[in-house]
Amino acid sequence: MTGRRSQEGGKAGRGIGCIPSRLPAFLFILILSGCASRPPARVPAVPGPPLALRGVQAEDSAPKQDLRLVPPEVYMRTYLQLFGGLAPLEAQRRARGKDGSALFDRWDDYVSALGFPDYRLDIPRQTQTNALMVATFERLGVALCDRAVEHDLGATRGGRPPPMDQRVIFAFDLPRGAVDQNAFAERFDVLHRTFLGYPAPLAPPERTARFYALYRDIVAGHRKADPRSRFTPEQAGWAAVCYGLVRHPEFHLY
Amino acid sequence: MIRGSSVFVSALSPRSSVRRRIAPLFALLAAVLLAPLLALDADSAPPPRAARTVDDYRHFRTAAIDLLGRMPTRQEIAAFERPDFDFDAWIDAHTTGPAYVERLTRIYMDVLRLEPNLNFTNATSQLYRHEVLGPDGKSLWIYYRENQRRERPETDGEFCLSPDETGVVIRARQPDEGTPRRVTKKLLDEYTVLVEPWWLYRDYRAPKPQQLFGTDAWKDPDPEYEPVEGLLADPDGKRVTAVRVCREEAQTRDVGHVYASGRVKAPPKDAKLPGGRVRPPPLDRPYATQHQGQEVACDTKTALDYAPDCGCGVGLDRCIPGDSNSGGNAFYFPNHVPLGSAYPLDDARQPQQRWFPYWWSREAVRFLDDLFAEDRDFREILTGKQTFVNGPLAQFYRTIQRGHCCGPEASFGMLEESAPLFDPRNVPADLEPQDVSTWKAVPDRGPHAAGILTMPMFLEKYASARARGAALYNDFLCKSFIAHDQQLTPSTEPNLMVRPGCKTCHATLEPLAAYFARVEPANFVFLPQERFPVRSTRCRLDAKGRLRGACNALYDAAFSDAKGATLRSAYGSPEHADETPVGAARDIVAAPEFAQCAVQRVTSSFLGRPTTPDDEALLTSLTSTFVRSGYRMRALVRAVMRSDAYRKSNDDASDGGTGGRP
Repeated sequence: MTGRRSQEGGKAGRGIGCIPSRLPAFLFILILSGCASRPPARVPAVPGPPLALRGVQAEDSAPKQDLRLVPPEVYMRTYLQLFGGLAPLEAQRRARGKDGSALFDRWDDYVSALGFPDYRLDIPRQTQTNALMVATFERLGVALCDRAVEHDLGATRGGRPPPMDQRVIFAFDLPRGAVDQNAFAERFDVLHRTFLGYPAPLAPPERTARFYALYRDIVAGHRKADPRSRFTPEQAGWAAVCYGLVRHPEFHLY
Repeated sequence: MIRGSSVFVSALSPRSSVRRRIAPLFALLAAVLLAPLLALDADSAPPPRAARTVDDYRHFRTAAIDLLGRMPTRQEIAAFERPDFDFDAWIDAHTTGPAYVERLTRIYMDVLRLEPNLNFTNATSQLYRHEVLGPDGKSLWIYYRENQRRERPETDGEFCLSPDETGVVIRARQPDEGTPRRVTKKLLDEYTVLVEPWWLYRDYRAPKPQQLFGTDAWKDPDPEYEPVEGLLADPDGKRVTAVRVCREEAQTRDVGHVYASGRVKAPPKDAKLPGGRVRPPPLDRPYATQHQGQEVACDTKTALDYAPDCGCGVGLDRCIPGDSNSGGNAFYFPNHVPLGSAYPLDDARQPQQRWFPYWWSREAVRFLDDLFAEDRDFREILTGKQTFVNGPLAQFYRTIQRGHCCGPEASFGMLEESAPLFDPRNVPADLEPQDVSTWKAVPDRGPHAAGILTMPMFLEKYASARARGAALYNDFLCKSFIAHDQQLTPSTEPNLMVRPGCKTCHATLEPLAAYFARVEPANFVFLPQERFPVRSTRCRLDAKGRLRGACNALYDAAFSDAKGATLRSAYGSPEHADETPVGAARDIVAAPEFAQCAVQRVTSSFLGRPTTPDDEALLTSLTSTFVRSGYRMRALVRAVMRSDAYRKSNDDASDGGTGGRP
């Protein structure tokens, strides 16, 4: 500080020769003082026009939760009921079959993947899906649908389906010839009610059309398939619709 | 109604002028009085049915999932669509039956997790099996118990044939040492006998049992009773009709005698041991020398320790077989029964040590099922004296559980359980060990029974007094132990209720744990007050500040001094210790949080989400309903299912819930 003060003292000793360098500062202060002498302008508060109503939306105060996954007990009971009301070991035996299709392993292999709790190991029930669970749903769903096609649509009975009251999933007859959209919608509604619990016409409007497109694609694909599938093209088409519904999020959630 | 009111008015209007004048007044009065009735009538008239919406269907589907345990069938949906479908009546009709019961049991099984991940090993009841070479050079199996007392010094506490006789050192769970040699017929006849055991013969108590498992002689065998193949065939594959057992184990008397061998001093280290045995024969414990010849019940651990004249009883029904020298397998039963024991997902060969734990778990589920099926007062989950037993459990409570006692307890004069949690006299007499599918109600287990709290499954799952107390606090009061922001400073304070950093939880936990001080940890032996006072002057710290022997096993050195000792786990509340689990049950159900907790658990489960402060009004109303109904779950569930919150609980709503799904 001492040295700095001596420097400033040195500059002060230069006299008139320093005035031009201070001129801008002088003018700036002069201008400021001029502004300060005038009172600040005041803008009075004026009520504005009311905002135009563009719509009314109620505040949603409902608790926000994750979607609920159907408990594994419910999934399994439903599965067994769709399999014809069989006991688990009997359903396993029939799902495995003797055709070498390896459609089904053992319930033991699926228990933890389905989200059952393991009280012995203090593992709680799974309340959210995971990749393994979704894969298990797919595998079990395919086994269910394929065996249902065999049973209900007579794929293993030489094309002779059982009486209607013994058909658990495909409780309808296949029309002769091509299935048009109306014929499809009528039968799709049966499956929709079976898996998702409500009539297909109440579903989003494009759902039936999308499933019909899926059905047509599968039927067309199977007509060209080589080697031939054990299912007829129509049976394969309905099996695909069944796959889509048994793996549908609305089937697993509630 | 309209016609009725006009009749009423006309009846008051005969020709009388007075009456004619007052008639309008009557009419007015009648109109005032009847207006509310008319309005009520209009309200109660069934409104025309609107078409079902997606949300209606989903509401029904949710209700079916909750009460039927599965999604609705097409037929059930069709019934729902009928205009006369009465949803309230449907709820009432389906808050009964197995699916409803399973739904509620599932809530509490998720909380309590009453399945065992443990092996039940009870030396008194566990039979091992070892192979020896018979006189003809063929292998044969001999069953024996570990540590069985025998009068022969060559085999006392060991296998009944000495290493010199078999060529092999045979010890349970140990690999053989030596080279087998043929055992003479004389030795076999002298030290072993053939027995028709309970697992092979339905009529094993008969003088000459005939009803052999797997033959037509055993009519209508229980379909769930299935011994493993190893118990049914000889080493050469032939069907077993009798098993060879060490002679001591085959004894059938109920009462034996304390035996003293006279051996009180260990042999020198280089001394040749009798019969080629590798460890010296057991020495007499002080109790044996002091009480030689005293009677002892043969189904106790005391008998195994002291009485060579005690065995496994008639048909070996005080023991459980295994098909190897390491315990081995015994029976088939499932690993997974998530839909109930009637719907197993597998059928597996299981080790003998898992036999009883499996049935303990089934007992707990049966108890809960009955609670909900019969719509009992829910407080009985903790206070109920009743239970259900099948054949294996009857065998367990009749004799096997008694084999846990008495080790250190014998030093306090308790040679057998004097006040068991389940009094064996209350076990139905007509259940055989093979009756695995037959369940019978036991109205009263005994004075110390307290709902699930005194069941083996709870006591083994929550093995320590603190674990048991914490389970009470968490599961039935819905409270958690959360430590405050405190530092754990170094401390030698044994009393956790005052130790800094510990006391915030333990001030609550230790008194709860004290309720279980009289039920031994990892066990279910009950320590009665008269023999095991909370403060014992018999047990004292020695000069080195230690409790010795049996005192150390049952009393807590940290809360003892030169004048006496405190029963383990009792220091938190000596009063609670004497009140036992029965007192715990009484106090917990009396707490207002008990009903609130039950309501919260059930409501949360049915709404499919945790309850929030926004649900306060609903929970208060439901709690009131629950308590007014006498703590009946059926009333609670019906109220939950009729609530607006339940109807709105379906997250997969039609408006936007589709999320672009195909």
